[in-house]
Amino acid sequence: MISNRPLAIKNKIIRQDTLKRKKPLDIDQLKQPVSFWIKEDRLLNEIGKEFTIILRTKGCSWALGENGGCTMCGYINDANIEPVSPSLIKSQFDFAFDNKIDKIKNDKEKYILKIFNSGSFFDDNEIPKSIREYIFERTLDIKNINEIVVESRIEFLNSEKLIEMRNELGNKYVEIAIGIETVDDYIRNHYINKGFLLDDFKKVLNRCKEHNLGVKAYLLFKPPFINEQIAIEDCSNSIRSLIKLGVNSISINPLNIQKGTFVEYLWYQKRYRPPWFYSLFKCLRNSINQHDLKKVRILSDPSGAGTKRGIHNCLKRECENSARTILKNFVLNQDIRKLDEQIYTCECKKIYQLKKWFN
Amino acid sequence: MSFFFELLSSKIGFSRIGRISLSKERKIYFNTPNIIIPIKNTLMKQINFIQEFERHDLFQISKEIFLKIGFLREKFKDTGFIFSNIGTLDKFKELLDQNLDVFLKDNIIPIIPFNIPTTSLSKDFAECEIKNHLIKVEKVFCKYPDFNYGLSIKIFEYSELLDIYISFIKKHKNIKILNLVDVFDNLSNYRGILNTIIKIKKELDNNLVIMVSGRIIPKMYPLMIYLGVDLIDTSYLLYLSAENFYDTIEYLLPIYKIKYLPCSCVACKGELENLIDKKYSSKKIDLLCLHNLISANNYMNKIKQYLNYEDFRAFIEKSTLDDTNLISILKVLDRDYFDLIRYETPIVQKNKEVRCLGPSSYYRPDFQEFRERMVKNFKPESWTSLIILLPCSAKKPYSLSKSHKLFHSILRKFSDFPNFQEIVLTSPLGAVPRQLENIYPVNSYDISVTGDWNTEEIKISADTLIKILEKYDKNIPILCHLEKGYKKIAQRAELSLPHKFVFSEIYGKPTSKESLESLEQLIIKYKNKFTPKEGIYQESYITKTWIRKFIKILDYQFGLDSGIKVISNQLRPIKIESDGKINLIDLENNEKLGYFSFSTGQICLSIIGFSRLIKRPFSISSNLIVFDGIKVIGNTLFRKGLFEFGFELIPNSYVAITDIEKKEIIGIGRLIVGSNFMQNSKSGRIAKIIQKR
Repeated sequence: MISNRPLAIKNKIIRQDTLKRKKPLDIDQLKQPVSFWIKEDRLLNEIGKEFTIILRTKGCSWALGENGGCTMCGYINDANIEPVSPSLIKSQFDFAFDNKIDKIKNDKEKYILKIFNSGSFFDDNEIPKSIREYIFERTLDIKNINEIVVESRIEFLNSEKLIEMRNELGNKYVEIAIGIETVDDYIRNHYINKGFLLDDFKKVLNRCKEHNLGVKAYLLFKPPFINEQIAIEDCSNSIRSLIKLGVNSISINPLNIQKGTFVEYLWYQKRYRPPWFYSLFKCLRNSINQHDLKKVRILSDPSGAGTKRGIHNCLKRECENSARTILKNFVLNQDIRKLDEQIYTCECKKIYQLKKWFN
Repeated sequence: MSFFFELLSSKIGFSRIGRISLSKERKIYFNTPNIIIPIKNTLMKQINFIQEFERHDLFQISKEIFLKIGFLREKFKDTGFIFSNIGTLDKFKELLDQNLDVFLKDNIIPIIPFNIPTTSLSKDFAECEIKNHLIKVEKVFCKYPDFNYGLSIKIFEYSELLDIYISFIKKHKNIKILNLVDVFDNLSNYRGILNTIIKIKKELDNNLVIMVSGRIIPKMYPLMIYLGVDLIDTSYLLYLSAENFYDTIEYLLPIYKIKYLPCSCVACKGELENLIDKKYSSKKIDLLCLHNLISANNYMNKIKQYLNYEDFRAFIEKSTLDDTNLISILKVLDRDYFDLIRYETPIVQKNKEVRCLGPSSYYRPDFQEFRERMVKNFKPESWTSLIILLPCSAKKPYSLSKSHKLFHSILRKFSDFPNFQEIVLTSPLGAVPRQLENIYPVNSYDISVTGDWNTEEIKISADTLIKILEKYDKNIPILCHLEKGYKKIAQRAELSLPHKFVFSEIYGKPTSKESLESLEQLIIKYKNKFTPKEGIYQESYITKTWIRKFIKILDYQFGLDSGIKVISNQLRPIKIESDGKINLIDLENNEKLGYFSFSTGQICLSIIGFSRLIKRPFSISSNLIVFDGIKVIGNTLFRKGLFEFGFELIPNSYVAITDIEKKEIIGIGRLIVGSNFMQNSKSGRIAKIIQKR
């Protein structure tokens, strides 16, 4: 992808500026993951729990590369920038895994294990093959963990690596999460600066299917340079297209303002406002029916929801809590009717309807 | 459906009155300028909204539900609709596809949206986005070539990017409306705004309707219309209402600041007053929407009233006075773009009192036109032996004022009075020879006179005076019966001229007995100091006051020496009281040369009169246009009937119309538009035909 576009240049400058100010991490920090937790989550066919581990690696190659990465992503701030040795990554994984494994084993609920490294799981520069194998090995033995999901950019998803993962994880359901963000090539590459085409995604999707791996598509709800209405239309269109393509899960991620990103630069200048909950709900209602939910899992667990940096309505506590609850209920139950539940009726809906034209 | 725009009348600046015709068969049309009221669910639920606006001319719809035929054909069958959406171009195309029959048959104008990106990083970024957008728009045109469209234009504050659109617009003749989406979003970029408007006027068909949307508040409406805007989208008022703003026109106030509601619209008379202090209230927002839209509508009605019937320019100046950016726009437009705007501004306004409010009035286009044209076309009478400078008067024309009657009581004591050239000093018109006191704007203007003049006024008047006096032999004495600011003008002119300036003694005021005596003595002393090269008999018809006026008025209107060409024999002016006109009849052959109208101060020449003015072989000038045929029929000349024309034609001026072979004058017309419009348009009304052969 061209790196001399004005957006790519500006994005890169902001990225480099942010990275310059980043303090190096010490060895103790590198021995532990960025974060890990257990919470309620939607599994493929039921409500269960997620066990999420965020590993600290060198960082996303796209963010560290010529183009400065995706315009909304600030996760590189958690990374080390310099290579992290395999042993340290192993320590991180063990730290989280050992901390929670007993609880998981003793729990009656089923689990999905999410291994994120805010980059690409299959990038050998981030997570070497040996560590991937180690992770697969430890995971295989845990009966409660029925599903596993990892993230990767498409350039790292070759057949060899996919076969390897499939073979190592037995009968467990595996999903590869890919940040396609939108099916619109122009928006993806000109506004999000993602660096690949829909056709590239389709090839990888088919490759994953060939190797009996599921695909979770991440959609970015309201990228920069987009207004509320177009956000609804773009995301609705993307959901319908992805359902037709046969993806297994779609995770809708409303944009949140992360530090040191291009979007934050726009946000400070009041040239970007994170989306409203009302828009997200409208998008979901427009694009999905209950029949679709038998074929595809729709997920959404927005960061910073209800705050001014994340998806929000009017920032009134009751309104934000109500919206978060509605979304959570929908995702957990995969029931479209949950979106119509009126937990709290806020006056701000009128404001939303009138301001949509200029947001 | 097809629609088209007709220019009905050019007004001052770029302002104009027009008409968009949606259906010739059903005679559905609406006038411009106009505002576009948005139709939204939240508004349609308010009965008061429907009652207030059910007879409004033009609405905007953006949702498919409102395209439903029942809604349009039953409730609003005689109303116009603009359809656009805030979503993607693909969605817009989809809606076109699904509602083709509605768009083809009904009174809806589709406006192709340009909604992303919402902002720009740089000029390169913007350029890339615009080009990409137009590639997609091209596909819409290819798919539906029979529609007429509006095109949304975004330039992201880079006025030079308009060039990308220009060739596109010229290529697609079915673009009828230009929707300027972000041109007025940042008023501090006033030079960019003007560059954009000027470019549109200069390079594109002037029949294109100019629409504006984006962050526009009613305060800006008058100036926008002055810049040639025909339609204004009021959607932003809904956003402001959601932000709890209350529009009073002069100010946009947060509702909590309102202690005294200055409006008695249905919203303000209703519950709004009780809800002011309620922090969260959707009812309050509904009422704010209603008030803000009603307020905008009322203001537009006011604008239309003044545009049609009052001196619109004074209203523009008043409305911009407290906004520095609006003032800047007006200033820069007056000074930097006069050479274009002079061909858009009518040369006269009829029956209007023209108020000068201050510095903002000095360079209004009709005043600049007067000063320049007067200096260019005024030629000293060959028999002038004395020049007398006098102060202006409040009453117009000056001769009818008490002060000037007193001055004349002195001047007319002298039998060689016709040898005296009176020049009246005035702000902001400069210096007015007596012969031109009846023409526009001299016959209509009013200004505050306190005796104190500011530097600019003195400069304008002195410069104009110098340019006139330079035409006279330096030995002709100049008597100045002036005081205070007037005297300063003469003193300033004196510094630049070789002429002898003599100042009378003013005792108290110029009209006091002693002052008049002083003037009389000076006249006695100086009237014979200079002997003109060409004398003239006192009894000559040409020294009669009104004849002198007519000759100079004709020079002013049609160029140097026009007067003497037309009035070559004795003239019998016949005043028709009821009409406010004077017929000009040639005594020798009893031919009617034309008539003078008091209301405009113009002379309308007949074919005979024009035949004396323009001799064969006819050449293109500011007095002549060539018809594309042999004979004119009807009362209006249209652009298609125009074969050839000059580049200095001004609206409301009279022109001779010749046949295509330029063999004879076949009619007289009064121009509706100027040469800029003629050059850039392929259709429209050009002139009202006053007389046909």
